[in-house]
Amino acid sequence: MGFIKLVVFGFIGLTVIYFSVSLYSRSVRKERLEDTFDEEHPDGGAPGARDAFVAEGMQAYNNSIRPKLIGLVYVVPTVVIAAIVYTINAN
Amino acid sequence: MQRFKTIVRVLVLLLAGSFLHYVLPQHDIVQISQAEPRRTDFGSFNRWFYAQADSGSVEMENRDIFYIFTEKKETFLLGFMPRDSMEVMVYRNEDTGWIWPPYFKFDSSNLHGQATTQARKDANSDGGNWAVITHYGWRIPFLSIFPNAVSISSVEGPNVRITPWFNIFFFVFLMVAIVFIRAMWRQFRERSVDPLLDAAGEQYDEVQAGVAERKGRLSRWLDTWRAKDKR
Repeated sequence: MGFIKLVVFGFIGLTVIYFSVSLYSRSVRKERLEDTFDEEHPDGGAPGARDAFVAEGMQAYNNSIRPKLIGLVYVVPTVVIAAIVYTINAN
Repeated sequence: MQRFKTIVRVLVLLLAGSFLHYVLPQHDIVQISQAEPRRTDFGSFNRWFYAQADSGSVEMENRDIFYIFTEKKETFLLGFMPRDSMEVMVYRNEDTGWIWPPYFKFDSSNLHGQATTQARKDANSDGGNWAVITHYGWRIPFLSIFPNAVSISSVEGPNVRITPWFNIFFFVFLMVAIVFIRAMWRQFRERSVDPLLDAAGEQYDEVQAGVAERKGRLSRWLDTWRAKDKR
């Protein structure tokens, strides 16, 4: 059945995209936190302060809406496919 | 080596370009003369250029396929420049089903009905019999390969201007996706691969330094056996 194939392989593909995008987003966020800390503490700061600052920032990131928005990776293609199905087959 | 790289690059670009040219929708301005089903026995090669049986039917060795026979307005430059001359164009009209290419077309019978209605229209009647056929694919006569018609809509006359919205959005999306993937790859390299390589490089340097030092010790020891400067 074509539809089942589409759902299964589409889900696998979108999951790969979802994880790559969320890894990328976290990585960018972490880098930005590290850079902010280094700018504010040119001398390096207290021992462990940098890690604590980054951990706190990542905690804030996890609680924000941004990581949830990555879930759109699943929603948008589904909506696009539904729209294509409708426009192609409606006369 | 540089020339080889250029050739490979050009080949990849050509392949990607012709793939997109085959798969993306194009619009033809046509006068439909006839639409009919015809049994088609596929060859081993041109089988690749046909879709599968209607979704909901069983796949057999051969089957009836709807064809649409038209007179089409010729164009230059992939349809960007209209010409005055006409040529014959034949389209197949098949369900694409759920998988490939992703047109999700299930209404080939409805489209056949539309095509026959359009074919019955008179050229001199009110509104004429001009139509726009959206299709993908190529017409290759010596392999019996036909483009697949996706939709038909009647238009006022042969001089309508069609904006390929889907293709515009598609190429914008493609650009954004390429830039995004590049950024992701760079981030991955900067944060994950390069630190590993740096660590490996440092270790290598340490080993090298160790070897150099041991050599230094050995040669210093050998030097103790050498004859002293006799003065």
